[in-house]
Amino acid sequence: MRSQARLYRRSAHTVAIAVAAVVLLVWTVFPFLWILLTSLKSPGDVISVPPAFVFTPTIDNYAALVIGEQRGQYSSTRPDFPRFFLNSMIISFGAVALAIAAGIPAAYALARFSFPLKNALGFVLMSFRFVPFIAFVIPLYILYQQVGLYNTHAGLILAYQLITLPFTIWMLRSFFMEIPLEIQEAAKIDGCSALGVLTRVILPLSMPGIAVTVILGFMFCWNAFNYPLMLAGRQTFPVTVGAIQFISYEQVLWGQMAAATIVAAVPQLVLSLMVQKYIVRGLTMGAVR
Amino acid sequence: MDIARKRRRWRRDTLQSYLLLTPALVLLAGMVYPFGLGLYYSFTNYWLQYPNRFRFVWFDNYVDLIEEPLFVRALEFTLGFTLAAVVIQVGLGLAVALFLHARVPGRNVIRALMLMPLMMPPVITALMWKIMMASTTAGILNHLLSFLGVDPVNWFGSTQGAIVSVFIIDTWGNLPFIALILLGGLQALPTEPYEAARVDGAGTAAMLRYVTLPLLSPFLVLAVLFRTMDSLRIFDVIYATTLGGPNDATTNLHIMAYQFSFQWFQMGKGMAQVITLLMLVGIVSYVLMRLWNRAAESTAQ
Repeated sequence: MRSQARLYRRSAHTVAIAVAAVVLLVWTVFPFLWILLTSLKSPGDVISVPPAFVFTPTIDNYAALVIGEQRGQYSSTRPDFPRFFLNSMIISFGAVALAIAAGIPAAYALARFSFPLKNALGFVLMSFRFVPFIAFVIPLYILYQQVGLYNTHAGLILAYQLITLPFTIWMLRSFFMEIPLEIQEAAKIDGCSALGVLTRVILPLSMPGIAVTVILGFMFCWNAFNYPLMLAGRQTFPVTVGAIQFISYEQVLWGQMAAATIVAAVPQLVLSLMVQKYIVRGLTMGAVR
Repeated sequence: MDIARKRRRWRRDTLQSYLLLTPALVLLAGMVYPFGLGLYYSFTNYWLQYPNRFRFVWFDNYVDLIEEPLFVRALEFTLGFTLAAVVIQVGLGLAVALFLHARVPGRNVIRALMLMPLMMPPVITALMWKIMMASTTAGILNHLLSFLGVDPVNWFGSTQGAIVSVFIIDTWGNLPFIALILLGGLQALPTEPYEAARVDGAGTAAMLRYVTLPLLSPFLVLAVLFRTMDSLRIFDVIYATTLGGPNDATTNLHIMAYQFSFQWFQMGKGMAQVITLLMLVGIVSYVLMRLWNRAAESTAQ
C-alpha cells in the first residue's frame, strides 16, 4: 500500500517536471516556429481566421525580399532588404574591426599596468553599458548633419563604438587577465618589450578569447537599433531598421515582415550556437564567467 | 637607489599605458564630446526648426519637466515597469534556473534553445510578437487563448493590453539572460554547505532559503543590476510595437525624450529629459553596484 502511494507521488512528480519542461520549450521555441510558418504563407493565409497551421507554403515572401520589391497585390512601399542586409554586414564588421584595433592595446594596459586614473577609466567604460542611447543620438544627429557623417557607413561605424569599444575592452581585459603572469615575466627576462609581450605572448595565447569577442561584438552591432534609426537613411539602414519598414500607414506586410525577421535572425542564431558558453560573460561585460 | 628605480619604472609604466590607450582614448573622446554638447543643449531652447531663436535658458527645461503632465506619467511608467520587470523576471528566472539545475532530462537542449531569444535583436523580437499578437481572431495568441476560454485580447489597442504586451515581449527576450546567469551561479556553488545542512536535517525549502539564496546573492544582485539598468531605458520593443501609445500608456522617459527631440525636434527639451533619465540610472546603478560589492565580499569570506 505504502509503496504504491510513494509510486504515485513519484510519477506525479515526474509528470510535473515533464509538463514544466514542455511549457518552457514551447514558450521559447513557438514564436520562432510561428514566424517561420507565417513567412511561408501567402497574404490570404496570413490573415485567415482561424490561423492556419496547414496551408500551401510559398517562398513568395522571401523572393520579394531578395528582389527588393514587392510582388502580388501590394506595391506602395519597397523596402530594399538586400541592401539593408549588406549595410548591417558593413557597419557591424567595420565597427568590430575598429573596436578590436583600438581595444587590444587598451585592454592590455588595463589588464597589466597600473597608471593614474585607471579605475576612473574603467568606470567610464563600464558606464557606457548603461547609458540611455538617446543621450548620444540627439547631439550626434545634429553633429553628423553638420559634418556630413549623417546617413553614411563611416558615421554609423563611429557611433557604434559606443556599443563595441567598451564591450571589447572589458571583454579582452578579462581574457588577458586569465593568462598567467609568470609567462609574461619569463618573456620579459628573455628580452621582450611591453609591446613584444603583447604581440608574442598575450595575443597568440588569447586568440580564442579574441574570436569570441569579435563574434559577440558583431552580434551586438547586428542588434543595434537606436543609432541607425536616427543616424541612418534609406541607403544605410541595417536590417533592424529595415524590418520595421514593412509597416506603413496603409498596411502591414505581415508575410514579408515575417520573412525579414527570419533573415535578420539567422546570423544571430548561428553565431550564438558558436559562442554558447560565452554569451552570459559577454552580456555582463566579463563580470560573470 | 631602489626608490629611484621604482619611480622610473612607474613613470615608464604610465607612459606605456597611455600610449597603449591612445587609440581607445581618441575614440572615447569622440563619444564624450557629443555627450558634452548634448549636456549643453539641455540648458538651451534648441529647436531644430527655429535655429534663430537659439538661447541659453539655464534650468528652464528641467523646471518645465515638473509641470509637464506627460513627464509625471512617463516617470511613473518607467519606474513601475522597471520594478515589475525586475521582480517578476528575476523571480521567474530563478525558478527556471532552479528547475534546470535539478537533473531535468534534456537540460542541455533547453539551455541551448534558450539562447535563441537572448541574442535576438530586440526590435526583431518585438516584430515577431507583433505578428502573433494581432488583436483580431487571426492572431495566433488570441486563437490559442480561446482554447483556454479567454476572450480575444486587444493587445496593442488598449492601454492595459499594450502595457502587458510590452512586458511579455521584454520578458521573452530577457528571461533567458537571468536564468542563465543564475544557472551558472548555481553550478558554481560549493557542495559542503549542502552536506552540512542535510546533516542538520534541513528540508528542501529550508535549504533553498538558508543555503542556496545567500550563496547565490552575488549572482542575484548582478541579475537585478543588469535588468534594472536595461528596463529603465527600454526603447526598441516599445518603439516597434506601440511607439508609446495608446494614449501615452507605454511612454517611458526614453520614448518621451525621443518624441520631443525627433518628432517635435525640441532638442533642448529632449536632452533635458534624457539627462534626467541618466541621473536616475546613475543613482540606481550606484546603489546596486555597492550592493553587488557587498554581496560578493560576504560570500567570498
